[in-house]
This record gives sequence, C-alpha cells and structure tokens, in this order.
Amino acid sequence: MSPSTSWKLWRSAITTLKTISRAAPVRCLSFPTDVGCDAETIFALSSGHGRCGVALVRVSGPASSMVLRNMAGLTQILPIPRTALLRRITDPHSKELLDRGLVLWFPGPHSFTGEDSAEFHIHGGPAVITAVLQALGSLKGVRPAEPGEFTRRAFHAGKLGLTEVEGLGDLIHAETEAQRRQALRQMDGELGRLYQDWSSRLKRCLAHVEAFIDFSEDELIEDGVLNLVESSMLQLQTEIERHLRDERRGERLRSGVQVVIAGATNAGKSSLLNTLCQRPAAIVSPMAGTTRDVVETSLDIGGFPVILSDTAGLRDAQDSVEREGIRRARERVEQADLTLVVVDSNQLPPDPRNAPAFLQEHLSTVLPRPSLEHPEAGTEAASDRILLVLNKSDLVAGGKQERIERELAGCPAVPPACFLSCNTFTGLGAFLAVLQSRVNTLCGDPLSGAPTLTQARHRAHLQHSVQALSQYHQYRTQDLALAAEGIRLALTHIGRITGRVGAEEILDIIFRDFCIGK
Amino acid sequence: MLSRKLPLPHKLSWSVLSRAVSDLAERQFDVVVVGGGHAGTEAAAAAARVGAKTLLITQKIATIGALSCNPSLGGVGKGHLVREVDALDGLCGRAGDWAGIHFSILNRSKGPAVWGPRAQLDRERYCQFIQSELLSTPGLTVLEGSVEELLVSEPNPTEPGHHRVTGICLVNGSQPILSSSVILTTGTFLSGSLFMGQTMSPGGRIGDAPSCAGLSHTLKETLGLRVGRLRTGTPPRIVKESVDLSLVKIHAPDQQPTPFSFLNKHTHCKPEEQLPCYLTHTTPGVERVVRESLHLNCHIQQDTKGPRYCPSIESRVLRFPGRQHQVWLEPEGLTSDLVYPQGLSMTMPPDLQLRLLWEIPALHRAKVHTPGYGVQYDYVCPTQLNPSLQVKSTQGLFLAGQINGTTGYEEAAAQGLWAGVNAARMALSLPPVALSRTQSYIGVLIDDLVGRGVTEPYRMFTSRAEFRTSLRPDNADIRLSPRGFEELGCVSHRRYEEAVRVRDGLQEGLAVLQSVTLSSTNWRNKLGSIKLSESKSTTLNGLDLLQYKDVSFEMLAALFPACLSHYLEFSPRLKIEAVYRPHCEKQSREIERILKEESLFLPPDMDYLSLPASLSKEVREILDRVRPHTLGAATRLPGMTPAGIVHLLHYVTRTEKKNHQGPPKNQLTQPEEKMCASNMPIPQ
Repeated sequence: MSPSTSWKLWRSAITTLKTISRAAPVRCLSFPTDVGCDAETIFALSSGHGRCGVALVRVSGPASSMVLRNMAGLTQILPIPRTALLRRITDPHSKELLDRGLVLWFPGPHSFTGEDSAEFHIHGGPAVITAVLQALGSLKGVRPAEPGEFTRRAFHAGKLGLTEVEGLGDLIHAETEAQRRQALRQMDGELGRLYQDWSSRLKRCLAHVEAFIDFSEDELIEDGVLNLVESSMLQLQTEIERHLRDERRGERLRSGVQVVIAGATNAGKSSLLNTLCQRPAAIVSPMAGTTRDVVETSLDIGGFPVILSDTAGLRDAQDSVEREGIRRARERVEQADLTLVVVDSNQLPPDPRNAPAFLQEHLSTVLPRPSLEHPEAGTEAASDRILLVLNKSDLVAGGKQERIERELAGCPAVPPACFLSCNTFTGLGAFLAVLQSRVNTLCGDPLSGAPTLTQARHRAHLQHSVQALSQYHQYRTQDLALAAEGIRLALTHIGRITGRVGAEEILDIIFRDFCIGK
Repeated sequence: MLSRKLPLPHKLSWSVLSRAVSDLAERQFDVVVVGGGHAGTEAAAAAARVGAKTLLITQKIATIGALSCNPSLGGVGKGHLVREVDALDGLCGRAGDWAGIHFSILNRSKGPAVWGPRAQLDRERYCQFIQSELLSTPGLTVLEGSVEELLVSEPNPTEPGHHRVTGICLVNGSQPILSSSVILTTGTFLSGSLFMGQTMSPGGRIGDAPSCAGLSHTLKETLGLRVGRLRTGTPPRIVKESVDLSLVKIHAPDQQPTPFSFLNKHTHCKPEEQLPCYLTHTTPGVERVVRESLHLNCHIQQDTKGPRYCPSIESRVLRFPGRQHQVWLEPEGLTSDLVYPQGLSMTMPPDLQLRLLWEIPALHRAKVHTPGYGVQYDYVCPTQLNPSLQVKSTQGLFLAGQINGTTGYEEAAAQGLWAGVNAARMALSLPPVALSRTQSYIGVLIDDLVGRGVTEPYRMFTSRAEFRTSLRPDNADIRLSPRGFEELGCVSHRRYEEAVRVRDGLQEGLAVLQSVTLSSTNWRNKLGSIKLSESKSTTLNGLDLLQYKDVSFEMLAALFPACLSHYLEFSPRLKIEAVYRPHCEKQSREIERILKEESLFLPPDMDYLSLPASLSKEVREILDRVRPHTLGAATRLPGMTPAGIVHLLHYVTRTEKKNHQGPPKNQLTQPEEKMCASNMPIPQ
C-alpha cells in the first residue's frame, strides 16, 4: 500500500471514529490503543543502565503520537515539536502513575529516524525503567526494537551519512552480541526452559495445523488433530497469560554487570573474590580444585552494580563433581560481560620476552572458542571483555615484573594485565582503578547486562503472542488459513525470544508426525 | 466469453514439426529448449510469446506434454502454481481445463487462501492440447532429436560468468544449431537410472531411450557445476476391470467443475461426464511383502534422498509400520482401461509387486499393465542459478524443472515459464527479471531453490509462503497478468484486458460497498438472522458487513440493487477481499521491507573473501558459496548475521553511488511495488 493510501485510510478511520465518538463517547477512550497500525512502532532504552540519574527511552514509528497520548496524558494536543514538557507518565491501561519526567515529540520527517518519534526522559532506577518499558510493550502496534533498528531506519530514511553507517555494523554486532549474552544468561534458567517449552509446543501446534491445511484432503490425517491443537493452544494461552500476570516474574534476574573470575586451578581465583568483597565469601585452600561450583556475590564497584562470580579452576578433572563445576565455569565465562583471567605469576616463563606468547596461549585454553552458531563471536578482539590478573606477584622479583609489563605493553593482542598479590595486597589499588574504569564503560553502555530491557522485550513478545493466539480461536471455524496466521504470528513473537522458526522446521515436524504419502 | 465446448485451438498440423534435423530451414535461433516435458513446453511457449525465435528439441514428438507419473494436476500449493502460470499466460491451466475428467477444489472448508484447485486428467487429451498449442504458437519450431552436447565459448567480458553458451550439437547432426540462450529441461534424464527389483538400466522414463550423456559431461566437467543425486518412483498401472469396485469407497468430483484458467468459464468435460476416484487401504499383508522383498529391492536400499511426501509404499510402511495407508485409484482417462494407484509407488521385482497388490482387498485379482519402478537422476544444485534461472557461471544457459531438484508437473511448469521469459529476454538483449516471494508462489519456489538449495526433491506447500493470505489462487490474475503484459510481454492483450477489467471492477465494488452505511440496528432489521457484535448505534458499512461469516455479497446486493447489483459478477471475489483485506494490510509493511531489500542488488562477481568490510570468515564463506543476488536473499541465508547484512548494505549503497548511472545491465529489474488485490487502494 502506498503511503498516501495508508494516510487516506488512516484519515478515514479517524473520521469514522469521530462519528462514533459523538454517538458513543465511551468507545473513544479505547480508540487509540485498539486502532491497528500497519507500520510497526519500536522503542528502546537508549541510555545506559546502572546507576544513572536519568534514563532515555526512545520511540519511533507512526504510533509515536498515540504513545504520547496514552502514556503522557496528552489526549488533547501534542506538545510543541522538539520542546521538552514535564508530564506524569502513566500506564496506558491501569492509568497508574509510573514516573514524572520529560517528554519530547519529534514529528517526522524532522527526527533521527525520519519517522514520528517521541522521547521519554525518566528517572534512572531499574524499577521505573522496567515499568515504562513494559507499559510501552503492552501497547498494540508497538514493540521493542531489534538490534540496530533505529539506526537502520535512519539509514533508510536517508538520515545517515555513509560514514556514519560504517559504525552501524559494529554497533549491531555489539548489540546482537550483548543480546546473545543476555539471552544465554536467562535461557539456562527456569525461565529459559519455560520459553523453550512454549516455543516447541507452539511449533507443534503450527505444524499440525499446517499439515492439516497442506495434506488432509489426500492423506490420512488422524481425526481430531485440530481438537488436540485447540486444547493445547488454550492451555498454552492460559499459561502465558498467567505468567504475564505473575508479578514475581518466576525467578530473580541477575541485575548488574556480570564479572567472572576464571583461570587454571590454584591460581588464586577465590582469593581474588575474597579480596574484592572484603570477606571470605569463598573457601580458599592451597589444594587445587577447592572451588567446585560457581560462587556468586553482588558488589558495588565505583557505584555500579556488579555480580562477581568465582568459578572452578579449569583442568582435566577426574572427579565428576569437579567436571560439572568446570562445565559451569566455561558456561559462565561465555555469558560474562567481563572476565578476569587469573594467572599464577610463578607459572610465567623465565624469559620475560616469552610472556606475551605464553599468556595468549593460556587465554586460548580459558576462553570459549567461537562456536559455529555464533561465527562472529570470536572475530572481534575479545580483549575488551578480558582483564588479566597476574596473581601472587609477591613471589616474583620486582625487576622481572617491570620487564614483563614492558613486554606486554608492546603487544596489543594481549588484554591489559595487572600484577597483584592477594596475599600482601600489593598492586590492589592499581588493579581496582582499571577494574572500575572497565565497569564504568560497561555500565555506560546501554547494552551490557540490562535485564530490565531483556525482560521488557520478553514481556512484549509474550503479550503479542497471546494476542495473536486469540486470532486463531476467532477464525478457527470460519477460515483455517487466517486462523493459522494467528499461530504463525504468535510463533514469530516467541521466536524473537527463543530463536527464529523457519518453514523447513515446521515441515520437519509435519513429516515426523504424519505419514504423508502423496 | 468462451463457448461451452472448448474447441482445440488448432487442428494438429505437423508442418512446423521437424522429424529430422535436415528438415530445419534455419540453424540459428534466439532460444533453444531441450526437453518437451512440463518445464520444456512452458519454457518454449513463453520464450516464443515474449518474441524470441524458439526451437524445442525433444526425443519423441509423441511424448511432448506427457504426464509421466500421476494423471492429475493441481492440489494444495500446486494449484496455486497452476493459477499463477495461467495468469502469466502459460499452458498448463488451460491444458488442465481441456483434459480434466474429475475436478475438485481441495480444502474448500479451510479458507480461500489455501483452496487447492485440482483435476484428474485424461493423459491423451493433455498431450493433445499441449502439442496443438505449441504448434499454433508463432515463432516456435519443434524438432525431434537428441542433444549430444552444449556449445560453450568464452564469456562476454562485459557480463559476469566464466562461459557463454552458443548453441547445441545434436546426435548425428553434422552442423551445430546456434542460439543466444539454451534452456535445459531434461527432467530425470540427466544420468538417469531405472530401478526395478535388482535390475538397473540407464534411462529417465520407462520406454524412452537414455539420453543426455554428453550434456551430463558438459555440465559437470566443462562448466564445473556441482550436481547431486535424487530419486523418485512411480507405481504400477493396473487394469481397470481387474479392480473389485465393490470394495472401494467412491470419491465423487465437484458437481460444478471449477476451471484452472482465468480465461475459461467452463471445463471441456461436462459436469456429468466426470469420472470418480476410488479410495482403498493397505493391509498388514502389504507390510509383510515389503519386508520380505527388501533384499531384492536395490532402489530402496540406496541412501539417495527421496521425497518425504511422495514416498514409495516401501518407505511408508517402513517409517510408519502397523498402520493402514491410503491408496487412491485414479482414472487415467475417459477411455483408458487403466487406473493409477496413487500411494503405491514401488520398486520391488514385478512378481512381488503383484503379490503386494493382491494383499489389498479391492486389488485381490488385480492385473498389472506396467510395473512400478524407481528412477535415480542427477540434479544441478540450484544455488548455482540466478533468480532468472540462468546458471551464474554460464551466460545464456538456463535450467528448469527436475534438473533443479524439484518434483511435480506444476513446479516444473512454473520454472519453465520463468526460464523461458528470461532466456528470451537475454536473447533480445533485455535485462533479466525476478519475481518476489512476496508476490507469488513462483517467487517463493525460485527464491527457495536458488537461495537455500535442496536436499530432497522440492515440492510446493502453502506453508512455505510467508504471505499466504495475500498470495491466493483467486487473485493470481491481478497479481501477475498486468505485469506479465506491461513489463514481460508474455501475456496476451486479451488476457491483460480481462485482468484489468476484473481488477478495476473489484476495486470499484469495494469502494461502493464502503460507501453503503447503516446503523447496526438497521442492518439487523434488514438482514434478519445475522448476529452483529457491534452495539446498536454503531454505523457499519457494507465492507464491514461482508466480513461476517454468514453475509454474502448477494445478500447485500439484494438490499442495495441500484448500486451493488452491477458487481454481482465478482461476488465470490468481493467476499474474499473483504475478509482478507485487514490481514493483508497488516502484512503490507513487511512486504514493503522485503521488496526494498530485494531491490538492492549484490554484484554477481563480488569478491566476498577480500571485501573490505568487517565480515567474519564464516559469513564470507557463506556469501561466497551462495552468491545471493539481492540483499533480501542474503538476509534469508542460514548463518547470516545482522551485522553482516549491514556491512553488505553499506557496501552496496556505496558502490551504487559510485556507478551512479543506474544499475548495470546484468542486474535484475524489480517492478515498482505492484498492488496485489488485497492491497488495492479504495478510492475515497
């Protein structure tokens, strides 16, 4: 449909609704949220998380004005373009007060994306951010932005110079990486299993409906396939709705920058943890393999929330408990925003010139290899996410330390390294300074460890899923193709959480579950 | 309108047919089509319609348009393809209407987007129609012969590719036949082997000589194309009078047959002349025979990929043991004394085939006319093709049908038509064209083939189409015919005018419907029993009303005869439009995005391995292997990352800016976004 046509339709919709509102003013209230928008409107938290005074949430797309009307109480007139306005920000459905903050209105094409846009400047606490993001996600036609989507829209609208686009790929890479790490964190928990389960049940429902559409006329598709689908879908819908209503959210999300301590056995990882949290949170002993599970503590580093995890030392363990600990350690490293790799300084080669090569070799055994599934994970220098801690520095002669530091400084491929002694605390100050600046950077980055954002995304997709499922029931008896469209849509939304589902995957299920002969 | 009886368009005159190469008046053509199956005939006809001087070479003129396997056309998904081929003025829809002897719309209860027009065919009539149609096509010559090899020369340096095809050489032909484009539609004949029991013989179809040995060599060795191997099979043909019809369930056709073609109002076969199909089932005895004969069945023991949805009875009972499997007994023709047992494709030795059949009660004294057999054949991995179906590395060489790893007449016809259009365009120095998967099933088919490749014979299903609610069999004419005439030149003026008339009529009808408004109370009073969910005082227009399940256009036209009765001709289509419009509008944004991405072309000769962009090695390798034609195709590649897409996007936009003088000639032209019926604007 051409833009002018869509505009005509939109206008005619408004005209119609005006007529209705004269007759039945009650309906008017529900109008803005119910109107179906053919263009999608997106939102995202554009500022960093962690402890910041103000957070910025951006909205872009044709429903932006509707968002302002619904959430900033601007039912009558929109604010003057590009002028900040202090408003009460409320939940569009319950009208509950979420925050007081500034709102800005950027009508297209004079906006970053070229589309109608809005900004909410709200207080920076995680509770407020979460509430606002969830409220946005609950509006029809509004969804969380995909990685790089704001920038891509801006690019398509001709708002970005080509040089600015150079950075876009890297940005999207960072975003997808950050999302992947977040997803990994949440997916290995109970919540992840729950979503995966919903996704696979929905896939099966769709496969059975598609099988019924594509094959039932010629094939022996067992009677009652659709009845089974129906009851399975109702159950699914009830479960998701119950989950969305549950304010406890199932499990506590680890909120904060994820810092993981990893390294070979007996390098002093647990000592480092205890040093950092200034209490014996982990058991330390001279025996290799003392730590067998992940020990996790919350810390405040320079005012930013940090979750610090100590992991089992990496070695070829015989003991099955220890092996499991090592598996968890590797998993945790993969999910980390920042990894502290602890090395026993005594193990460094006698010749300082060999130190960089030794450390690189050592890192490759500690860090996860880039997997096939995420081919880009390893392409970028991982050094941004790693800090080397050369522990037990009290056992190395001062002169040798200096020479090694010089060697490492001349070798950019090796991540930054700090000599430290958890025994004498020598070098602790310098190390803390480096660590704090790292955490600072990570927190300023809106992508790192922001579970509120992920959580809001999940909620929005689940809500859309449930809405789409009701389309199935609405059309079930009238038109199976339109009904199936509802399941397809629901699966697309769940797929945004658990991974995209292609037609081939559905066909695989069809051919596994049915004997299709024609 | 056409008369009740469809006459065969032309009396068979053999004057444009050449039995021998020496009869050929000329040896220089624009397009040479090799193969006279469903892909080849559509290709030759389409190329000629576009205006290319075309030669069709086939082994046996008598087998042109032969239905080698099942005597039926269409179905769910496949019927969509037939309607689209017809909308582009192809042959198979009209041939089906001429040859059909049992018409039914499958999925009638499941919504118009997935209706499957289908017909059982009379084999003889089908061939007859196709042959007479080809003969009446101006600019098309048919030659009986066997192709020895392709003539290949140095590429045209201004275009991408390592080779250029210049014509073909015939077996026993002293002089080569020259052409700008060659379309290979060799079906199962490329290194084909026939299997029955423990015997194996070279060939692509029983009763026909093996061929294409030289072609096979040229494709693999000279052109270096990657090939794979697939298998398929066909059931034994059973003598009709040996079937015990007292033990089958009769399956009647639709009382009123629906034609495939948008041009036909009636089918050739009268409603009452239609023949029934019969349904019966396998028994545990069938399973026993299969198991006992396994050691004598070499086709089934091989691990070549066969289709999952058209498996032999052997694989069906092995994969799903202990079940009853359906067997359809289908008529082979009005006067044929054979039936075709759909679902009983088998490759065991003939005596065991008979034993198996006898285990089915209705076939307990069945006589076999021709035993079933299996075929294994080479296919060219279709990711080596452009969306125009031209081989990327070889200028002028096009492939269509089973050679691309598909199965089915309809899939072959769709590719044949598209290859024919593009081969003709290449010969006439016109840029190639592509069909988007947002606009047609043909587009879905070709995009799946060239973008993802195949691992088993590819068949169309409606579940493959993301935009199923827009790509309906009912609106194929307005989706494709106007473009087919205006841009491609493969659609006749008559069809174009009809499609435009229908499109405008629908558009007007919808606008008038929207202008008719009443309060819901008023509607309720006028329509009686209809349940309206809206509150009393809501104003509803005719379009809103038509979305209700029990409201038909006829009912509304009876209420407002002055303004609506004029559109009664379109009433079923108006009803469908009214119901589907809101859904199609929801998808229009997504369609727009895909079309935008598909209009960004990636140069075919791009050096992905050394492209100055931060792409990972894996992504580079994927791109280098598949060489997607557009950014849209690249987006759909498995293993492609969002970051990779943006780098590509950036690169392409930058290069486009550099060569500002429009796209190079080798790039596909994409239409401006065409309105599909469901997205038609309503005049205010």
